[in-house]
Amino acid sequence: MTFELFVFYVFAAILVFAATMVITRKNPVHSALFLVLAFFTSAAIWLLAEAEFLAIVLVLVYVGAVMVLFLFVVMMLDIDIATMRAGFVKNLPLAILIAIAMVIEIFLVIGSGSFSLDQFAAPLPLPADYNNTASLGNILYTEYMYPFEVAAVILLVAIIAAIGLTMRKRPESKYQDPSKQVRVKKGEDRITVLKMDAED
Amino acid sequence: MLALTDFLMLGAILFSLSVAGIFLNRKNVIILLMCIELMLLAVNINFVAFSHFHGDTVGQVFVFFILTVAAAEAAIGLAILVVLFRNRRTINVEDLDTLKG
Amino acid sequence: MQFEMPSLIPVLPELFLLTMTCVILVVDLFLKEEQRVISYGLVQISLLLSVCIVYLTSGAEAEVIFYGSVIRDPMGDVLKVAIYLISAGAFLYSKDYLLDRNLFKGEFYVLGLFAVLGMTVMVSANSFLTVYLGLELLALSLYALVAFDRDSKAGSEAAMKYFVLGALASGMLLYGISMIYGATGSIEFPQVAKAVAETGMDNMVLVFGLVFVVIGLAFKFGAVPLHMWVPDVYHGAPTAVTLFIGSTPKIAAFALAMRLLVDGLEPLHADWQGMLVILAVLSMALGNVIAIAQTNIKRMLAYSTISHVGFILLGILAGTSKGYTAAMFYSIVYAIMALGGFGIVLLLSRRGFEAENLDDYKGLHDRSPWFAAMMLLLMFSMAGVPPTVGFFAKMFVLEAVVSIDMTWLALVGVFFSIIGVYYYLRIVKLMYFDKPTDDTPLTAGLDTRIALSVNGLMMLALGMFPAAILSICAAAVGSV
Repeated sequence: MTFELFVFYVFAAILVFAATMVITRKNPVHSALFLVLAFFTSAAIWLLAEAEFLAIVLVLVYVGAVMVLFLFVVMMLDIDIATMRAGFVKNLPLAILIAIAMVIEIFLVIGSGSFSLDQFAAPLPLPADYNNTASLGNILYTEYMYPFEVAAVILLVAIIAAIGLTMRKRPESKYQDPSKQVRVKKGEDRITVLKMDAED
Repeated sequence: MLALTDFLMLGAILFSLSVAGIFLNRKNVIILLMCIELMLLAVNINFVAFSHFHGDTVGQVFVFFILTVAAAEAAIGLAILVVLFRNRRTINVEDLDTLKG
Repeated sequence: MQFEMPSLIPVLPELFLLTMTCVILVVDLFLKEEQRVISYGLVQISLLLSVCIVYLTSGAEAEVIFYGSVIRDPMGDVLKVAIYLISAGAFLYSKDYLLDRNLFKGEFYVLGLFAVLGMTVMVSANSFLTVYLGLELLALSLYALVAFDRDSKAGSEAAMKYFVLGALASGMLLYGISMIYGATGSIEFPQVAKAVAETGMDNMVLVFGLVFVVIGLAFKFGAVPLHMWVPDVYHGAPTAVTLFIGSTPKIAAFALAMRLLVDGLEPLHADWQGMLVILAVLSMALGNVIAIAQTNIKRMLAYSTISHVGFILLGILAGTSKGYTAAMFYSIVYAIMALGGFGIVLLLSRRGFEAENLDDYKGLHDRSPWFAAMMLLLMFSMAGVPPTVGFFAKMFVLEAVVSIDMTWLALVGVFFSIIGVYYYLRIVKLMYFDKPTDDTPLTAGLDTRIALSVNGLMMLALGMFPAAILSICAAAVGSV
């Protein structure tokens, strides 16, 4: 067993464990945190497959943004965990059965030899001056320009949809308006001089 | 040596786990969304592995786009979840029974 | 690496629509509530101009651009024109409905236009990546539209179901695509088709990938057994959105099937034909039988959609250019029929009242003989009664199926469409032979009345001259 293989199996084991925890935890916060672990470990596995840029993006974008969004929503909504769990045990045998059946089927297809080392020899390590980010960027902005633009539109849709669905104007909420703040004049806006009779 | 099959089997296990998770957590929408993220992760592992062993970057480009779309999808999914919770005060799938027939 | 900027003329329709959508998005911010109709006008103008642009830039030859990401071919052009026009009709019908419910907002139109853009991206896709992105652009816009009425419990519930199942289907589709990429080493359709033809049919990985692709496809079509979302989404969404989801996305789904299965995986025809046979038979059976039990017209039309999807799949599975032509004709005709059907539902709805139940159609003839006649034509067309166009759509599909020696399948199709006639005629009976329970006069604008009349009469006109569209479809498919 090479060192590479050993590292792969360690990370694979952590990944499978984390995924199992995600789907079996009672508390959605725990699930989300285990999902973070799953993303971190798969980033490590992608490093083994020499996909450095994506590994970093997975951690930055997924863990940094998407999972934080998840956690934020979980904590914002007041979820009653107890009722969520009813039926969990009832579905457990079915779920295990389905998972095992699927794994066996997929293993039969994948393990049939089409993807073994004789068919796909392990690629030689890329030279030290190879830059994964540069090579990805090179084709992303040339060959894949059209999909890139469409992806940008998808993000725009997500922005519009998320704002359109959840933003509500609340008259009672207080906020600062910087443009008004800078326009304040010291004389008439800040101090009001009252005329009143002198008191003893 | 690390073979393509190793990566694919890992992807397969993750994919199956996510499907099992969907069956297990049929009631809790937020964990359902996490299972979908897991499923996409399994797909991404496949693409990265194929890309590595085919020796071309197309697979990695595909993963790049899947990550982008998945982030957009998560944003919209969570937005719908918030709207749903505001209307129903619950995200329990069993309580979602207005629509039947 | 040398980079040549591709010619942008072939994607001009998409570029134009995207630009206009962004313009509308910004312009709408500066409009007052009562000026909102300007955004609506801009939407209609953009859609009509897009039709002109497609017409002006179209060519007889298929053209592959953007390094194999996009294909501009006659089939795509015809489908795009159909999508633009039918979407314009959908926006027109929904205007009054939205105004009555305080949903007449710029975001509705912007999201709608993004959905249209997603469909056209999908229609002219030439690689798995472009198809996937177009599909997601369409799907994400639709999820948001279903939840658009934020205070509606049914709407948000429908959106949640649609979202979870849709995301699941996308995951399945992607898993299939990853397998196909692994087995062929490419994501562009022509290269994939070439590699598949070379490696042979017995490659288990390819068939395995195909199964997942077909699952994803069946979901997007709403074919049984992946139809669970259709009735709930049709029922729960605001009727204006149901109208939109029920019409043009079926054309886009047809394009998706053509691109994935025919352009990309044609050599595996024998494999996917078997899968589609099962989907088609189940869809026709379940759709028609369950529709009978419905009392809500939106649910009834949802199950009727499922059965029509079965027919579209019949045409595709034939695997001949005759079959593809028939399926294309069917999907366009179905989109027009669904537009009219939901258009009538919108016509009868008014502020605070949804004409959702079948009983609301009682005695429509006494209230408005003209629109009862239009509904009659639409229902006859959906049922496939001659001489309406629905009859010919069904006939062409069945002809294509018979010509590949699958007569039994054609007989199954005929049998279930006869069952289907029952529930369409029930509406006709309610309209003509029952007393109205509600005498409120119909309050629709002149534009809606004219468009609905044209829409209803089209069923008859196209039924008289089905060759008009059919020859266009045949020419478009012939060049694929």
